[in-house]
Amino acid sequence: MILLAHILLPFTYILLALLIKKASIKSRLAVLFATFNLLWALALLPIVQIKDIIVVQVGGWAAPYGISLVADRFSVFMLIMTAIIFFLVTIYATQSVDKARRKSGHFFFTFGILMGVNGSFIAGDVFNLYVWYEVMLMSSFILMSLGGERAQMEGSIKYLILNLISALFFVSGVGLLYGNLGTLNMADLSAIISEKSDMLTHLNPALILMVVSFAIKGALVPFFFWLPASYHTPPPAVSALLAGLLTKVGIYSLIRFYTLFLYHDAPFWNQLILWMGVLSMVIGVFAASSQFDFRKILSFHIISQVGYVVIGLGFYTVSGIAAAMFFLAHNMLSKTNAFLVAGWVKRQKGTLNLKTLGEVYKESPIWGVLFFISAFSLAGLPPLSGFIGKYLIIKAGIEANYIVVALIALFVGLFTLFSMVKIWLEVFWKDVPKDRVVKIPQKKRKSQYMLTSSLIMAILIVVMGLWAQPIVTYCEQAAVDLLNPELYIDKVLNFSR
Amino acid sequence: MELIIAIFIGLMFSCGVYLILRRSIVKVILGIFVLSNAANLIIFLAGGITKSEVAFIPDGEQTLDPTLINDPVAQVLVIKSIVIGLGIAAYILALKYRYFEVTGTHDLDSLKNTDQR
Repeated sequence: MILLAHILLPFTYILLALLIKKASIKSRLAVLFATFNLLWALALLPIVQIKDIIVVQVGGWAAPYGISLVADRFSVFMLIMTAIIFFLVTIYATQSVDKARRKSGHFFFTFGILMGVNGSFIAGDVFNLYVWYEVMLMSSFILMSLGGERAQMEGSIKYLILNLISALFFVSGVGLLYGNLGTLNMADLSAIISEKSDMLTHLNPALILMVVSFAIKGALVPFFFWLPASYHTPPPAVSALLAGLLTKVGIYSLIRFYTLFLYHDAPFWNQLILWMGVLSMVIGVFAASSQFDFRKILSFHIISQVGYVVIGLGFYTVSGIAAAMFFLAHNMLSKTNAFLVAGWVKRQKGTLNLKTLGEVYKESPIWGVLFFISAFSLAGLPPLSGFIGKYLIIKAGIEANYIVVALIALFVGLFTLFSMVKIWLEVFWKDVPKDRVVKIPQKKRKSQYMLTSSLIMAILIVVMGLWAQPIVTYCEQAAVDLLNPELYIDKVLNFSR
Repeated sequence: MELIIAIFIGLMFSCGVYLILRRSIVKVILGIFVLSNAANLIIFLAGGITKSEVAFIPDGEQTLDPTLINDPVAQVLVIKSIVIGLGIAAYILALKYRYFEVTGTHDLDSLKNTDQR
């Protein structure tokens, strides 16, 4: 029952939030529950180290018939990262999000997202995964439009329609897969597919529909258009949360599917995944360098960074997948923190247009340093976490004989640095342009909680860069587990109490 | 029977795609509904269509001859995805209403303010 807590904790908060009217109590309760969630995720770590894979059969029905919740090392890693990000963004949101939004259910729906994300990380059943996706998406739709500003409405209509189409692809894929194999339990599916090697091409239509759906969710080229059109419209705390968590769920599912099903037909999938990753990296970073809005640049960088993770998967070696996982974790921290700094700048200056901003560093050196840490971690400068992440990916690529891909990854890093330096210069460094009239909010508002959460995140980025060794070792263990799906199948199907 | 439903699903998908390519937001939303029902039908069809009993084990017996019944799992899945579709339909219509209140337009082409240029 240990895994169920990850679903029940957010659900309890959702129920409690219905009963409480005052915004301040709602916020405090949200921080409390986010702490519980973090502690619980950390408690899973020693258990997964002993048991390798934690399996829970909900309702007590055996594996292919009941609903299995499965957490291996990779899932636990993602659960912990999610919990950290969620905890810090919740602290940030208690101050950053305005009272009307907090009152009308901001935290209610963020916990909906948490429930969906946690659920997708531990789902052991394809249809169950789809349901958690819907939980996550419904909450994110509402968070996206909560407040009802004009830009938000536009952003959420695009976000909504394109994500619904991805959900439709997923359902159709589930239907075709069920029609072919008669089961939806992931371990069972993987076992059946590995026995029937002649069915591989027969299954590809269903799997392609699902992979397209993950690619839309994970914002890979050529399915990324919803992301930069919508992520800069909601309040900063919301876009930080979405940027930190949602696309990563799509990538998580892609890695899970690849290591359980798609690897059987590696000649077909490997090149496809690899080049999708390469194109995402290149196109994301080029599109980012032409933008002049703080959050839009960061949104395009999500696409580019997701590409790095996917090429790590495309190498399909232990070091490649370990590097992909490390990079995923690093990216969740650095990207969310960059969005948090953007939120502070928006609060102080009322705009995020690079052309009208300037001299922020003079005004507040500490926020400048925080942005510096996260931005240059994204760009991959030592000793920050991004350096280790990129180094591992490129090393894995060279070892797996994908020299061209590794070189492209290096080259993309240069352009990432370019956009980050651009934001740094335009927002923090240059003089405020004389000819631009900016309405600066009258009084400076307090931001101590925002600062605390961003500071903790920046410290984590530095720590992750300096003491990377234990994390990399853990990622390698997880990658070994992922590359041996027999272990997963065995633990889930031969589950005994 | 399965062939007829399969052709019908194909027709629904093409209608849905035609609708989501329209300029009016309402038609796009209708297209989403049609597509989601087409996807539900795929799951329904995945269970196979045969003339059969309901999947209940009668009183006093332990097992049931599987050839007599239709696959109940597909029906459970389709009910679940219909319910999810209903929730989404309610929300998307509310969002559309609010969007119309804020902007007074149905035109998707006026939605380009947040796009990348």
